[in-house]
Amino acid sequence: MRHSTIPRRSRALTGTALAAALLISACGGEDGNGDEGGNGGEEGGGAGDILIGTTDVKVTIDPAGSYDNASFLIMNQVYPFLLNSQPGESDVEPDIAETAEFTGETEFTVTLKEGLTFANGNELTASDVKFSFDRQTDIMHENGPAYLLSNLESVETPDDHTVVFHLAEPDQTFPQVLSSPAAPIVDEEVFPADELLADDDIVAEQAFAGPYVIDDYSFNDIVTLSPNEAYEGLLGAPENDSVTIEYYSESSNLRMAVEQGDVDIAYRTLLATDVDDLREVDGLNVIDGPGGEIRYMVFNLAVMPYGTQTEEADAEAALAVRQAVADILDREEISEQAFLSSYTPLYSFVPEGLTGANQALMELYGDGSGGPDADRAAERLEEAGVETPVELHIEYGTDRYGEASADEYAMIRDQLNETGLFDVTIQSTEWTQFTEERTQDIYPAHQLGWFPDYSDADNYLSPFFHSENFLANHFSDEEIDAALIDQVTEEDPEEREAKIEELQYMVAEHLPTLPMQQGAQTAVTADYIDGVVLDGSFKFRFGSITAE
Amino acid sequence: MRYIFVRFLLIIPTVFILITMVFVFMRMIGDPITAAQGGRLSAAQLDDMREAAGYNRPILVQYVEYLGQILRGDFGTTISDNRPVTEVLVTYGTATVELVFYGLIVAFLIGIPLGMIAAAKRDRWPDAGLRLFAILAYATPVFFLGLLLKLVFSVWLGILPTSGRASSRTRIELSRMEDATGIYLIDAIRAGDMGHVADVLQHAVLPATALGLLTAGVFLRLVRTNMIGTLAMDYIDTARSRGVSEYRLVRKHAYRPALIPIVTVIGMQTAMLLGGAVLTETTFEWRGLGFQLTHYLSARDFIAVQGIVALLAVIVAVTNFLVDIVVALIDPRVRY
Amino acid sequence: MSATTPPDSSTTTPAAVPGTASRRYSWRRLPVIRQLRQSVGVQRGMLITGLVIVGLMLAAALLAPLITPYGPSQLRGEDGLFGARQAPSAEHWLGTTAGGYDVFTRTIYGTQTALLVIIVAVAFSLFIGVALGLISGYYGGWVDRVLVVVADAIYAFPTLLLAIVTAIVISGGSSSLWGGIMATAVAITVVFVPQYFRVIRAETLRIKTEAYVEAARVIGTPTLRIMVRHVLRNATRSLPLLVTLNAAEAILTLAALGFLGFGIEPSAAAEWGYDLNRSVSDVSSGIWWTSLFPGAAIVLMVLGVTLVGESLQDLADPRLRTRRRTDSQAPQATASAPVSAGGAAAGVPKGTGPSEIGPSS
Repeated sequence: MRHSTIPRRSRALTGTALAAALLISACGGEDGNGDEGGNGGEEGGGAGDILIGTTDVKVTIDPAGSYDNASFLIMNQVYPFLLNSQPGESDVEPDIAETAEFTGETEFTVTLKEGLTFANGNELTASDVKFSFDRQTDIMHENGPAYLLSNLESVETPDDHTVVFHLAEPDQTFPQVLSSPAAPIVDEEVFPADELLADDDIVAEQAFAGPYVIDDYSFNDIVTLSPNEAYEGLLGAPENDSVTIEYYSESSNLRMAVEQGDVDIAYRTLLATDVDDLREVDGLNVIDGPGGEIRYMVFNLAVMPYGTQTEEADAEAALAVRQAVADILDREEISEQAFLSSYTPLYSFVPEGLTGANQALMELYGDGSGGPDADRAAERLEEAGVETPVELHIEYGTDRYGEASADEYAMIRDQLNETGLFDVTIQSTEWTQFTEERTQDIYPAHQLGWFPDYSDADNYLSPFFHSENFLANHFSDEEIDAALIDQVTEEDPEEREAKIEELQYMVAEHLPTLPMQQGAQTAVTADYIDGVVLDGSFKFRFGSITAE
Repeated sequence: MRYIFVRFLLIIPTVFILITMVFVFMRMIGDPITAAQGGRLSAAQLDDMREAAGYNRPILVQYVEYLGQILRGDFGTTISDNRPVTEVLVTYGTATVELVFYGLIVAFLIGIPLGMIAAAKRDRWPDAGLRLFAILAYATPVFFLGLLLKLVFSVWLGILPTSGRASSRTRIELSRMEDATGIYLIDAIRAGDMGHVADVLQHAVLPATALGLLTAGVFLRLVRTNMIGTLAMDYIDTARSRGVSEYRLVRKHAYRPALIPIVTVIGMQTAMLLGGAVLTETTFEWRGLGFQLTHYLSARDFIAVQGIVALLAVIVAVTNFLVDIVVALIDPRVRY
Repeated sequence: MSATTPPDSSTTTPAAVPGTASRRYSWRRLPVIRQLRQSVGVQRGMLITGLVIVGLMLAAALLAPLITPYGPSQLRGEDGLFGARQAPSAEHWLGTTAGGYDVFTRTIYGTQTALLVIIVAVAFSLFIGVALGLISGYYGGWVDRVLVVVADAIYAFPTLLLAIVTAIVISGGSSSLWGGIMATAVAITVVFVPQYFRVIRAETLRIKTEAYVEAARVIGTPTLRIMVRHVLRNATRSLPLLVTLNAAEAILTLAALGFLGFGIEPSAAAEWGYDLNRSVSDVSSGIWWTSLFPGAAIVLMVLGVTLVGESLQDLADPRLRTRRRTDSQAPQATASAPVSAGGAAAGVPKGTGPSEIGPSS
């Protein structure tokens, strides 16, 4: 790449006077690429002002009105949680809570630390906590995460420091829910109870109690954060002086920005080709972390070949068809060509990096080590009396899961048809229509992706395989229903892990969905940046970042 | 006068029809809840949320409610990013205006002189070449031209930025300015930093060229056609017979009358460029109304899309009105 | 427009030859061929170039399976996958795309899709626009007024937005071949119907006052027959130009839809706009072959069609026709009208006429 040879100037900005520092216009080299010949001046002085570039578009920093990566990225820095995880960990522990534990099967009690305040000086009490959760469910906003709290019946505040959550059903994942996008604690004196608050007002009121406060906010242009001295939670005081997030509209620009030193860190989302190129560039580090994102294929058990609503309904034949697909697909080949290895083969329902993950499908299907085995598929189909080639239609979404979706499904079609056992047709549909139609028994098989609500294996199991799953693909199995409830109520962590592993084998026999690929978290940083941690919590915490 | 009045009243049904069409279309193609959460909620959960948001009510009720809001001047708050629609319109509208302005400058600088040359050299090779150029400008999709320009000037030569309205540094500083106009060039000049001005202009070169060439082709043909028409008129013939040189004819005599239709077309073109800025803005990530429109459309953000289209409808209708008035003033035969 | 077009030495437009005089048919009088015969010099060159390009495109579409080494949705050859973003080579003359398809094959097959969309879009717009224009112009009254206002309003609608919305409404946002074609065709139809409408309405208004129409009415000829036999046949002189413009816009709109991500799924058909959309990220890595060829194909196709249209317009407009003899007495009657193909007479002076309307975006 042409720009890789451009000398990198030190990008660290000076002191806390960011506005002054910005006047320097310090960036990039003399490539004429939109750089305003800065007036030199105070460069490379103080450390600890971090510039992060991202292409993610954020929705709003009101927790009740957004549920997307970019918005949650900010929320994670500026709002406190009752429970949170430290960098490098995915298990949660008390954040602004003193203690947090189950005090009954469906009762979870949290005591808050003493003397908590928001950055604006308002006290943070149990009443704010109750307000934050009630507000979520009252507003139930179009883009909000309110449904994550559907198991929460009521919140009680016996005193100023104690909050008691009453659940409808026993649920060991509830502590994780308290660190999810549904759970930031907001200031009841600032936020209205029944509607969203505009971002500018939130910033003006300084209704923050997380590790950072927002100093400067320009919608989807720039957000500047500085440490919040009032924060006394788990994550501790930030190690840098400020963090500025810049929003790029295209990944190619973000790539150029990090290459030329316009930003210190590029986080979400660079193209796989670009990341590949940047790995070779001196002065840059590529940081990989486990990704919670998975790509999978859903079979509709009613309308797939031999499905329950077809003329030749035959559960065994339908199962054989699903298993044959699992035998034939070569995830490695797809990962390399369609995703340039930015996604990696996924052989189970729970992705790597989460407690309880395994590779159930690798043993059960294909050549036993992840590769394809067409002969095995042919045998399987013949045994079940399936006529070949099997006609199968697969639908995918055009825009939601990245433009490589088209390549991924073209390869799936190609791999299946190449064996002569299948006659696959594929088609794509614009996202909103697609997701409306996916529950209407129109698609025999279709694409979907999943980004976890919180970091718990159950989040990859119950929503998908319980009889009342959101997929509406007519999968229902009493044994699996029971096993799902069994693991989610199991209090002993080790026992629970074993049950989760067992459960994946059970589901792998039925294959109501077929796991395909797992995403990775990637950040590209300048080599003078330290402390970027991408872990299984799927939260990027800015506090640990430092610049030399 | 009566014509002007009647023509003015016609703006109302025009805008009304467009707003209604958009309202109905948007209700036909899914709702923002499905767009945002369809990938992780069950059909029943989605339906609960739709109920809560009021999208399950009869469309007529929603329509009347919407019209009421508009008449009160309340365009609402966007669903997908919780911003007042008026703010969205101002922020992105200024960006679009800036782009269209640059594009028109390029179109003028290229289209009008070349059109005059083509008319003067009518039917000879410069004319043929220029007409081919005009047709090529029309035949080349702006996004393809944009990709080529990027490939050559940004990637191979590395002399111009690929996209965006300004480098992030400039953008950040301009966004911090008090009472920023949102038009970067003006803001940069007011900030008094030549670096920023240069940066903004550098970013404008490729989009303005892509958009401007397209329009330049239109201008070129228009100037040529009208000038040929004018050059054939009696008084020109008279001048010609007096021995006035062909160059002087074009420069002095035929120039002005031939420009009149162009003035009206500029109106048309402005409206068209505003309406169709989607592709240029998408190609160059110029965050204007068109760029945002596709974004809001895929999020099924009714409120935002309706707001943007209502604005476009008003602009287009008013421009058409002005064009018609100008034409009526020029040509007294036109009457309703 | 004045009621009588001045007679011109080198041509007789149908409008000037009312009724029975235009009965004698001959292939020489077919549109395009007639103009080809009457053209000279640069204009003839333009017309011929245009016709040659269109002819080549037609040939490419018909012979695609013979010319191309692979299928449009083929990913795998005898030695396994082609691989994505492969530079041009002996196996892949123009390289491979981001999805791992052969660029040459897809570019050639793209002509089929382009022609298909032209046929469908033009057929729709022509039929509806002409019918409405005839009715509106012939009957007048409130139907006419309403249609004029509606046509005006629709004309103001941003084409591309309309195309996107229709793409979602018509095909449910699905990327099938016919979904993409129909979405484009309908969007184009909505935008072009007002233009056909204006032209035909204006001509109808003019023709219906002509003596031969009056005569037909007096002797009791059925209205439908008058409209088709007498009015329509004489009202079509601006149509060839509008048709070529319509065709060009159809290609550009299909490409724009594809570019914006509402394209046709690559296993359903080869479509240039889709391929361009996928090549955007290649450009920043300096990969040029994935965007250059499909883009050039769009330009060539539109160029061919537009060249034909432009020359037809020149030949139809006496002011612009190349003077065969040094005939400086160009007709005056039409000089004051803008280049409009009927706009002014329709009472809605757009001032531009169809040929000045740029691509919809």
